[in-house]
Amino acid sequence: MSKTGKGHTDHESNRVTQKQKMNQEKIEVERDWTSLSIKMDTKIKTKIKMKVTKVSAKARAEAKRSIAGENRGRKESGQVGRGASRDEGQLQSAVKLKFKVQPFLKRAAKSAGALAFWPMVLAVSFSLATRAGWPGPTLLGLLNPELQAAPTAGRSFGPQVEKPKLLVIKAGRILTMIGPPIEQGVIIVEGDKIKAVGKDLAIPEGAEIIDEPEGWVLPGLIDVHSSLGLVDERGQSENEELSEPNVAQLDVLDGFYPFDRRIVQVRTSGITAALICPGRRSVIGGQAAVVRLKGQTVDEMKILAPAGVKFSIGEGPKQAFGSKGRLPSTRMGNIYVIRQALLEAREYAGQWAAYNESLAAARKEKRSAATIQPPRRDLKLEALAKVVRGELPAFIECYRIDDISGAIRLVDEFKLKAVFMGCAEGYLVAGEISKRGIPVIVGPMGIGPKRTETENVEISNAARLHKAGVKIALQSETQYGLAALEELPLVAALAVRGGLGEEEALKAITINAAEIIGAGDKLGSLEPGKLADLVIFSGHPLDYRTRVKKVIMGT
Amino acid sequence: MKLKGIKKREPMQLRPESLSALVGSSGRWFVHSSFCLMLILLLLVSPLFFLVEIAQAGAPVDADSGQVLVLRGARILTSANQDYEQGTIVIKGGKIYEIGIDPQIPAGAEVIDVTGCLITPGLIDAHSHLGLGPSGGVTEDNEMSDPVTPQLRIIDSIHPEGLAPDKNQFRQAVAEGVTTAVVRPGSGNVIGGQSAVLKLRGGTVDNMCILFPADMKMALGRKAAYAQKGQMPMTKMGTAFLVRQAMLEAADYRAALDRYENEKKNNPATATTPPPHDLKKEAMLLVLDRKIPVHIHVDQADDIMTAVRLAKEFSFSKLSLAHAEESYKVADELAREKVTVVVGPRMIVYDDDNRPVNLADYLHRQGVEICIMTDADVVQQPFLRSQAAIAVKYGLEPEEALRAITINPARLMGLEKSLGSLEPGKDADLVVWSGDLFDVRQEALRVFIDGVEVYRSPRVDGELKK
Repeated sequence: MSKTGKGHTDHESNRVTQKQKMNQEKIEVERDWTSLSIKMDTKIKTKIKMKVTKVSAKARAEAKRSIAGENRGRKESGQVGRGASRDEGQLQSAVKLKFKVQPFLKRAAKSAGALAFWPMVLAVSFSLATRAGWPGPTLLGLLNPELQAAPTAGRSFGPQVEKPKLLVIKAGRILTMIGPPIEQGVIIVEGDKIKAVGKDLAIPEGAEIIDEPEGWVLPGLIDVHSSLGLVDERGQSENEELSEPNVAQLDVLDGFYPFDRRIVQVRTSGITAALICPGRRSVIGGQAAVVRLKGQTVDEMKILAPAGVKFSIGEGPKQAFGSKGRLPSTRMGNIYVIRQALLEAREYAGQWAAYNESLAAARKEKRSAATIQPPRRDLKLEALAKVVRGELPAFIECYRIDDISGAIRLVDEFKLKAVFMGCAEGYLVAGEISKRGIPVIVGPMGIGPKRTETENVEISNAARLHKAGVKIALQSETQYGLAALEELPLVAALAVRGGLGEEEALKAITINAAEIIGAGDKLGSLEPGKLADLVIFSGHPLDYRTRVKKVIMGT
Repeated sequence: MKLKGIKKREPMQLRPESLSALVGSSGRWFVHSSFCLMLILLLLVSPLFFLVEIAQAGAPVDADSGQVLVLRGARILTSANQDYEQGTIVIKGGKIYEIGIDPQIPAGAEVIDVTGCLITPGLIDAHSHLGLGPSGGVTEDNEMSDPVTPQLRIIDSIHPEGLAPDKNQFRQAVAEGVTTAVVRPGSGNVIGGQSAVLKLRGGTVDNMCILFPADMKMALGRKAAYAQKGQMPMTKMGTAFLVRQAMLEAADYRAALDRYENEKKNNPATATTPPPHDLKKEAMLLVLDRKIPVHIHVDQADDIMTAVRLAKEFSFSKLSLAHAEESYKVADELAREKVTVVVGPRMIVYDDDNRPVNLADYLHRQGVEICIMTDADVVQQPFLRSQAAIAVKYGLEPEEALRAITINPARLMGLEKSLGSLEPGKDADLVVWSGDLFDVRQEALRVFIDGVEVYRSPRVDGELKK
């Protein structure tokens, strides 16, 4: 503990030590229980039956309490950094209930005899346990202490069915991102959703209350260009399938590792959701997904998948394939690969449209559809067909003005619903981008090493694009403090330095970011019905002295 | 202390080649056959130098000639003992002449009102690769043909403006208040070469260089590049061995030189030839003779302790570590051994339990002297203060963060008498900021090096017009 110093954000460490303490307690209680069991055996030998029942009941209650403790520690806490202590009451009442039931059990034991007693105890405790929300395997663990003692490393077994709980956050200033700031406001959270936001709301009974009179609350920040779960701390990467320049058929969810250490790391800086993208070295890199940074499986975490198909033109693919003497080794090559793929996808979409039409016609005319053959499925073209049909956006990574112009030509030609990523020289063609209503995910700001295509990066890029009417989001700079923390507020502050308004800069990392990646219905603002992912800052989010105090993701 | 003499020389006289000869192999200079001829020449020419020096030294000191500059009314963070809420700085002859709440302003001085602004010392980056080319392409800082290259001089690689795609690196650095950078060879080699301290003005490396050789750059525990070739070092043991061997070879060389000198002194008639030139060993002699300190790139705790062990074994004059991401594990050892850690470019590291550690803050509180770096262009040179801002954001006191990018690097390089803080007699390297130094929304309005304005924000003239 002492080694980490005050520099680290305390809540994570609290959780860890709490967990360790609980584990320790659990082991101790378990040891007691085992010794009691031995005593129990000897006492069975002396045939003092009532005492045995008492001892075993006590032991079980104790063991159960300890496992409840373990369960608490183990459970991925909804509120990052806060011990999930609120189901304690529930568990304790369950234990109490068991004690009440105990006299009845004794009587039952007397009447039904020793043979019938043990299965009954089992049945009753199982039903009680499941009612109290304990998953089955935990109960198995109760019966077999050794199984329970096995380290489970933060992964809980089985579904955790919980009633939605209420959480009330009172804060000095709430920036909802869709209206004026609320001074001394209240947010009511029920389960995973926001129930109400406002001033002077009635505080529901039984709700847990977080009071931060000085705190500023913002929606959870969104990193709109991330490789979390695909590239780990040591740079092991799953984000570039470089066997061919077009791999539109790939889905990032299939490469996403939910236990990437970086996920916990970025969450401590207030990022609660991210657009996970394939890298920039494939021309068509695969399907991107919006992921909520809470959960243990990718299915739990995904918010929108696929969110779009990722394209990249410029130096990335040119170097990756050109160096092997393959297509594309030029910028023309990049665009050609995309044009060819989209033409094929358009054809493929046409085939399916024709097939569906003939099916519908057959059904309408009530004749057999047996003779109508569906076109052969092609996963690559299937993904791209969605782009051609405008069902999915094309995320096009482009930096230099020539690449941006190339992207604009493709957008015009195929009527793509596009989002540009990068756009380092976007300020040079802001008008053209604005005219087509193409949103831009702006980055980098020039903090890291420059590439030939980010040579002319300007800090004013975001501001100038915004001024021209382009909707913008800001991506995190992994080079800021060398990905120390993926610091979106610092990037936003830099954009302000470049001339962007403060409100606009904050929108660019919350609501606009959510809308641009297609998750505006669930993320990005504090309003009823949206996901209750929010960040409590110690002050103005763009001030360098401000720290993230709490990250809340549901109750 | 020959080094001190060197750094005080006028830029026009600073020729690193001859400097190194003076520092490194002074003995053999004088045995050259043409020594007498040179001596005569030198005697003839020296009065000229003398005249030039008088002319140069005389001009700026003259208070009446309008060369006195006064910055009035700003909040001043001096990085020294006393700060001023509203102070005034008098600059004379490129030096800080006076600093205080209301110092006497010499007649005819140019007075600039900077009320509402903040003045800090010019920022110093303790570890940078400025002017050495892009990280992406082939850089000029790693001579990867041999893992031991102490003979290389970084100033022979530096482009004074920056190489594409960073053509304006130096200009941009100055515009964000960086006035001095310690430019070092890369960490590809175990012994990378000799570092230099540059002031970011003057147009040529020779004009910029204020201290060379500044220290010897080494890297421990990095073996990947040579392991690929199946060449030593393929292990961490290998990296340490190569340092040790280079030091021992230098010691042998020193012994041979001493033997020769003795012989020459005692039996001039039968004196043999001196040991042949060996630039590698001569360079290592600088370390062996404690003329220059050692700066080592390390990441893991074991490499850090290897560095400390080597420093003790060969009594390095001073040891500083770069990056040292696991230094929090051995902070007490580093404090005890008085090792300076240059933190960055990664400011926050994660411990084995994935908890964030604010390295600069933690080390500081454990009593380790810290500097903060960009490792430009890993983080671009202009972002030195943002690097410090991250440390402040997660707990480091702002005063200490300022010291870590001003006086601490100056002290590390032995330049604390002229750089790093705003005190009378020191170089007038300072920055006028529009507001808080660590707030990236604020900007540098004016940057001075040696009392000369080297950058002025377009905003300054804009506001003057209003």
